[in-house]
Amino acid sequence: MFDFLIQGFGVALTPLNLGLAFLGALLGTLFGALPGIGPINGIAILMPLAYTLGLPAESALILLAGIYTGSEYGGRMSSILLNVPGDAGAVMTTLDGHPLAKKGLAGPALGLSAVSSFIGATIAIIGLTLFAPLLAEVAVMFGPAEFFALMVFAFSSMSVMMGKDPVKTAIGAVLGVLLATVGVDSGTGVMRYTFGMPELYDGIDFVVMIIGLFAISEILLMLEHANRKNADDEIPPLGRVFVSLKEVLYCKGAIWRSGVLGFIIGILPGTGASVAGAVSYTTEKRLSDKDGTFGKGDMRGLAAPEAANNASAAGSFVPMLTLGIPGSGTTAVLLGALMLYNITPGPMMFTERPEVAGGLIASLYIGNIVLLALNLPLAGVFARVLTIPRWVLVPAIAILAFVGVYQLHSDLTAIYLMLIIGVFGYLLRKLGFSLAPVILGYVLGGLMEQNLRRALSISGGDIDILWQSGISLGLWIAAAALLVLPWLVPKLLSKKPREEPQQD
Amino acid sequence: MSNIQKPVADRLLGIVLIGLAAFVAVQAIQLDVPFSYEPVGPKAFPLGLSILLAGLSLVLIFKPGADGHWPNRALSIRLLVVLGLLLVYALLFTRLGFVPTSVLVVAALARLFDATWTKALITGVLMSACSYVLFTEGLGIGLPTGTWLAAIT
Repeated sequence: MFDFLIQGFGVALTPLNLGLAFLGALLGTLFGALPGIGPINGIAILMPLAYTLGLPAESALILLAGIYTGSEYGGRMSSILLNVPGDAGAVMTTLDGHPLAKKGLAGPALGLSAVSSFIGATIAIIGLTLFAPLLAEVAVMFGPAEFFALMVFAFSSMSVMMGKDPVKTAIGAVLGVLLATVGVDSGTGVMRYTFGMPELYDGIDFVVMIIGLFAISEILLMLEHANRKNADDEIPPLGRVFVSLKEVLYCKGAIWRSGVLGFIIGILPGTGASVAGAVSYTTEKRLSDKDGTFGKGDMRGLAAPEAANNASAAGSFVPMLTLGIPGSGTTAVLLGALMLYNITPGPMMFTERPEVAGGLIASLYIGNIVLLALNLPLAGVFARVLTIPRWVLVPAIAILAFVGVYQLHSDLTAIYLMLIIGVFGYLLRKLGFSLAPVILGYVLGGLMEQNLRRALSISGGDIDILWQSGISLGLWIAAAALLVLPWLVPKLLSKKPREEPQQD
Repeated sequence: MSNIQKPVADRLLGIVLIGLAAFVAVQAIQLDVPFSYEPVGPKAFPLGLSILLAGLSLVLIFKPGADGHWPNRALSIRLLVVLGLLLVYALLFTRLGFVPTSVLVVAALARLFDATWTKALITGVLMSACSYVLFTEGLGIGLPTGTWLAAIT
């Protein structure tokens, strides 16, 4: 049963792939630590360069997964030291992380976050190893109708769980799916939404899409903070850099509970690190906060979300690898990266391309150890990255974005398209949209349409096929329940008069 | 600025999106599809999406959220300048060549993000030269040397 893992370690332990796992971890931590650059941005900016290296699929994926997990590590630096979360997943880290830093315990706080991230991720990677092959065996039985229902379920789960505004999340996903319809229709050869531009015949290039959507819009957003100078920008002294064993043991309950919780939340499509962090923090606060120390620099309040958001990062690989449905915006980007290699993640990957599936999972084990080894002693060095001024950062992102897109086809049209998508992304972000649903919709859109059409051509146009099997019917019901319950439950509850002020 | 309390952004967005949905639908209907044995052609999926989008936009129009913080006049001008700079970067990228264009754009961007002129110029020169060496020597990416330069020499 674990043949794939043994084979995977065989792949991951070659000198090239070990080196790439290390490089990915290092680059990811650096990029994650940069102010304003979260995991998605890190991958978006570095991905095209990874392609120019001409790596085989499994090596490229190992590098990108290293960047992903590394940037989750790096993201906490600014949360703890500056009280500025690098991305949505690190919001909860600020609650106890920054107070700890203010107490002069910045070093131990960084150390503890590295250790709890390591343990949380380890729990989740073991879970991934155990569950992914099982789920893949079930998923082999999925036909196009089941996959279509699964994607509908993924989108409704995402709308409810991701972001504050379900309507905007849904609109974002629809816009993403619409963008995926641009190009030659694979079934009939008809051009859709290409407006006579040959550059659009193959659809909007994935690299152009993510760089525009994330990197360019980030440049525009950073302008708002350009001349904001506040006292918090001073990095507090780190103090001793290592966390003591006693402190880790004090948090052990929080760490393993949050690790398991984070893994489970990570598996659900659309619920990424931000939900995992929030749920684990509130759970731990309810369970352990006897003296009211949470929020004032309690180590357990830092360990819980850190263990959870890393566990969910690893957990989100489960649906991506077994079903081809990414669990988060970042895994959507990784999925798109795999598709560029003509690999469609899904149940067949474990049997047809075990070196890719196994190699990736094995590299997660290795990368996790590398990250712990890098982050404990080098916390001080990574913390320096935070002080890089925006006037260095922004031009650097611009150069990386332009070169990354230009090297695709040595062609300027892609660059103009990138700028247009960048403005579109900026406007969406200003309007309160999260970009993760857009990229998920874009990545899944093509597959969704293919599966729908394939299902209907099997049935000869009879739409009943979409809910004829037990699995697909169950998924439709689950999707409907997810959409209706959050709206219905408060209505039922509010029959009892309650005057609690709603906090946002 | 009299009706600042009323949420405008989401309503406007809703209207724009309904327009987009209509555009998508009209384009889909006008697709010229050759005969095919498939029961579902290329029209149905975009049509379904446009209906979904229109429905969601109606929700947005009738239940809009609060307006976010929008850039003030000074910031809007800076935004346009940054966009203009990126456009100039794209326009000159192949014509003037990677290094000279990058020096100009990096220096200007750095200046816009509050670097002093000296720092901005040094950043421009260093960053352009280093990234050129890194990309061409390290990663083997061919970067444009400039068609204008080639025309002169």
